[in-house]
Amino acid sequence: MGKKRKHSDVEVPAVKKDETAAERPKRTLLGWKDKPETQQESTGFRNREKVLVTCSRRINYRYRHLMLNLVSVLPHCKKDNKVESKATKGATLNELVELKSCSSCLFFECRKHKDLYLWMSKCPNGPSVKFLVNAVHTMEELKLTGNHLKGSRPLLTFSSNFDKDPHWKLLKEMITQIFGTPKEHRKSKPYHDHVFVFSIVDDHIWFRNYQISCPHTGADKIDRGGLEKMTLIEVGPRFCLNPIKIFGGSFGGPTLYENPFYVSPNQIRSLEKRQKAGKYAKKVKAKTRRKMHEMTNPLETDEFADMWKE
Amino acid sequence: MAVKKPSPKLLETMPEDLDMGPSESDPETESGSESESESEGDEDVKLAEPSKTAIYNKEGILDKLGDISWPDDVEWIHKLSLDIEQEQEVDVNDDLARELAFYTQALEGTRQAFTKFQAMGLPFLRPSDYYAEMVKTDTHMEKIKGRLLSEKRRIEEAEERRKARENKKKAKEVQAEKQKERTKQKKEEIESVKKWRKQRQQSGFQGGDMGLSFENGKESDTSKKNKRAGVSPWDRSGGKAKQSGGKDRKGGGGKRKSREFRDSKYGFGGKKGMKKQNTAETTNDFKGFSKGDGFQNKKRKK
Repeated sequence: MGKKRKHSDVEVPAVKKDETAAERPKRTLLGWKDKPETQQESTGFRNREKVLVTCSRRINYRYRHLMLNLVSVLPHCKKDNKVESKATKGATLNELVELKSCSSCLFFECRKHKDLYLWMSKCPNGPSVKFLVNAVHTMEELKLTGNHLKGSRPLLTFSSNFDKDPHWKLLKEMITQIFGTPKEHRKSKPYHDHVFVFSIVDDHIWFRNYQISCPHTGADKIDRGGLEKMTLIEVGPRFCLNPIKIFGGSFGGPTLYENPFYVSPNQIRSLEKRQKAGKYAKKVKAKTRRKMHEMTNPLETDEFADMWKE
Repeated sequence: MAVKKPSPKLLETMPEDLDMGPSESDPETESGSESESESEGDEDVKLAEPSKTAIYNKEGILDKLGDISWPDDVEWIHKLSLDIEQEQEVDVNDDLARELAFYTQALEGTRQAFTKFQAMGLPFLRPSDYYAEMVKTDTHMEKIKGRLLSEKRRIEEAEERRKARENKKKAKEVQAEKQKERTKQKKEEIESVKKWRKQRQQSGFQGGDMGLSFENGKESDTSKKNKRAGVSPWDRSGGKAKQSGGKDRKGGGGKRKSREFRDSKYGFGGKKGMKKQNTAETTNDFKGFSKGDGFQNKKRKK
């Protein structure tokens, strides 16, 4: 995967500029077709990332829509059928990824029809991360009014606290590789009209997707004034990731990192139930206490007690 | 509780994983000693304190990072990633501030990216005549547009209604003021005329009574009104029929009688549909059928 580049870097952009100045490049759906592009591909780095997107059975409608939204936003992904396994989940998924010749995987696992866990892994032997997904808003919500080209390459913005800890750095690298569309992908469109936001707030990774809208004349002619008038409109989807564990292998392997603040949603629910259950026991205890208290301190006989008796 | 269980299992699988051998021991020792002290506390401690038994294998993580990351001299154009400085800590629960922070991060990123693209001479934004498949369908965008428009209309309508209400209030006030002014004016004018007349009288003017019509007219107005207002429901004449009070006041009230007689005959108002119907008294009254009696009002009480 890691091919070291030779010094062909420097020459290539210069060549490109000459070509565009000399003749008018052909404009196709895939962008501006230039002659020297073919030469560039053979040397140098080529992003051959392919993401397999699957989910487990019994997934909720909201999470299914989220998965479909992600499929439409990432042109370099492949959507596969539902994965049925329970015990040998890791092995099945690894095999599936190999079969489809993908290099990474996004697996949506829905538990108890309520909680969504997202597995993000680099296959075949890369690290994998398990997240708990909260605060899901899909693209179909009418309040998210933006729209962008299907398959255009996104700009990825990360907040600066991704560089503070090693586990955040690892996550940042994985996100860059999985969510960034490869440069000359078949299904990618030329211009850049949307931007992803990955931001760490309160130890959660928040994801937002905005459309870049700016009044401009040409594809690359924006004056200073236009830059100021640039606005962002939210396209969606929106979600919040809570990292649970980072594993050394793909869907398994040694645990490299555990989130100390993570409490599973099952635990939270059981806690709440336990608190509610305590109510009745407390009431019974209070009653017996009251009885004992009354027995130990008897009331004085009331002189008016017999007044209304016949 | 669930956190502690995986760690002993991992210790068993350790010999199989050759990479993690030396590095695994460090976090284990530090978490091991603390876990014993925290073992009872762990049951009760929930979200407030972090669990101390969490594994954090920094070297392993950095190893893996080195494995998967792309070579360092990959051009930025492949990654398209930007790091944005976050100035202040954002409170998670404050929705508006949080979203604003994300928005500013995205905006800042876009601006930086744009400058880079301009430096490289590559196209950045989509031209307005470039039509291609979008991520949301056209029908969906129509729905969004419809919703936005209806919201706008609702807001505008509310505004208009509020404005109309306020205008009405104002108009009423203005009207009331105008009315007051008019009555005041009227009063003043009448007063001034009275004064003038008094003066003329005093200065020995010998004109006839100018009719005192407006002095009297005011009273008769009110009396007429009262008569009409105090009409009893069984009175089919609508208050026009006169009592025999007119007989008593012959001399001084002669003029008034004639005025009121004429009012009851020719005046307007009174009950709506009973003008051509018989009352109890007039049923058997055939007086009006003699000749020359056409100008006697049947409804007048005799």
